[in-house]
Amino acid sequence: MIVVELVEVTKIYELPRGSVKVLDNVSVCIEAGDFISIMGPSGSGKTTLLNIIGCLDTPTSGRVMIGNEDVSGLGDEELTKIRRDKIGFVFQQFNLIPTLTAVENIAYPLRLKGVSEHEERSKALLRSIGLAEELGENKPNELSGGEQQRVAIARALANEPETILADEPTGNLDSKTSTDIMELLKETNERGTTIIVVTHDPQVAAYTRRTFRLADGRIEGTA
Amino acid sequence: MIYFEFAKRNLKRHTFRSVLAIVGIVIGVLAITALGILGNSVRLSASEQLHLIGNELVVYPYGDATISEDHLEQIEKVAGEAIPVMSGVDKVIFGDETALVAVYGLRSEDIPKLLENADGQYLKHGSSNCMVGSRLAADYELNVGERATLKAQKPRIVGILEERGIGFDINPDNAIIISDKLFTALYNASDYNLVVVRVEDLEELEATREEIEARLNKKEQVVTVMEMKMIVEGIKSLFDTISLFLLGIGSISLVVAGVSILNVMMMSTVERTKEIGVMRAIGTSRSGILQMFLFESLILGAVGGVLGALFGFGIGYLVDVLILEEASYLFTTSSIAYIFLGVGFGIGTSVISGLYPAWRASKLKPIEALRYE
Repeated sequence: MIVVELVEVTKIYELPRGSVKVLDNVSVCIEAGDFISIMGPSGSGKTTLLNIIGCLDTPTSGRVMIGNEDVSGLGDEELTKIRRDKIGFVFQQFNLIPTLTAVENIAYPLRLKGVSEHEERSKALLRSIGLAEELGENKPNELSGGEQQRVAIARALANEPETILADEPTGNLDSKTSTDIMELLKETNERGTTIIVVTHDPQVAAYTRRTFRLADGRIEGTA
Repeated sequence: MIYFEFAKRNLKRHTFRSVLAIVGIVIGVLAITALGILGNSVRLSASEQLHLIGNELVVYPYGDATISEDHLEQIEKVAGEAIPVMSGVDKVIFGDETALVAVYGLRSEDIPKLLENADGQYLKHGSSNCMVGSRLAADYELNVGERATLKAQKPRIVGILEERGIGFDINPDNAIIISDKLFTALYNASDYNLVVVRVEDLEELEATREEIEARLNKKEQVVTVMEMKMIVEGIKSLFDTISLFLLGIGSISLVVAGVSILNVMMMSTVERTKEIGVMRAIGTSRSGILQMFLFESLILGAVGGVLGALFGFGIGYLVDVLILEEASYLFTTSSIAYIFLGVGFGIGTSVISGLYPAWRASKLKPIEALRYE
């Protein structure tokens, strides 16, 4: 089953000094359960690619399929629902909501969706990422970077999305913690969730099954 | 309500800033309620002291003219019934004290129509006795049966009047009332100083006034006719203007409070741009963001409004008790209405000030917001 398909996607940013082609006719097809890394130098379009897959950005031309739904022409409200239900995000800076406790952060997407047993489910998720229950009542600023990123992964998993998108998930972590986080993502992938990671780090890419190499907005090679 | 919870926690994050924003609203609402209650209490207190009868016309002589018997007859032809009043000011001696008081000469049959007796009797026809006003009786400790000395006469006090308040026809509280006969005898006057006309039907008031003026002022202006209703309305509109003015002052402070809330909310949206980006990325709708910010301004307005109304009520109470010496004005519907008005304005100002920042936050594009540092 295909979870994400990009067909001839081009993204052009109109800037004051002229237009910049960030993605140039990119086509990719990602199967359910895949574990993919996207690598490439700065400005090669990695993050833009991830944003388009994540329905945060729309292509200038081309088609984006999430599952079997063409999302290219959808409006903000529909795209927001797709992000909530089908995609999980993990960011380099963790980006937990500072006013919510760890458990509340995990529960938030469930509450957005209107899941009534959000409390039990978020506590179960907290256990599954290997965080002690008492840490669940802590605010993000009371957690270490690694712990925050674990909570962020649990939050991304809350609505059981088909795909998790991670933009430099280990970029702000030391190497030991990075390994832990990648192990967690690997376990998550082994349970069936498709994972796409944008990274500079070859050690991160080593965890994945396939690597797309991007340069100047084109996929130069897959390995 | 998840967005309400967010709003509460976000306000707590910057407690000091939120408190300052609330203080602004408190001052604005306090100004509106306190000034509103003050204006209303003054109005109530004034209307309690004024003796105003809506269906009364008062005919005054114009300039140096006086109202003659002949004029009175013409007034009676138009209005049916009229109460002529002779008046002057004179020294009156009570026991060994001398007082300068108003002296009214009234036909004995007219006295019960115009005045109320509190003690003793009304003047009988042709009587050479007198009645005294309530204030005068109190000031000089006068009792029925005592005598006053007025020029060469020594009329006996047969009645003490009920307190009447300030009137535009006569002011008997500090006056002595004698019969028209005695007045004529004492002061050698034959004309009247004013004539009071009562109209049965309020609708006829205007027409009666015009007809009296038309008849008496045919050749030259002899009289001025005042409608009590006009005076009542004039006073009412004066107090409405005062209330509006006070409300205006209060509103200015609320506008200032609104600007400060706008400022706080704008700062808040800018500071939280990245957070908004994250919330949008993980599936929060635009309306969710909008609600979150609107709840924040609603909470600021509601807390400020309620506190302001409480303080305003307190100040209103102090003013009523200390200056007007009457707390009951505070518990009238019209005073209580200012409390609700104040709270309403406080919440309204706050929510309106929050609209633009909330709308702006909800319009942020998720990727641009996420990129914000």
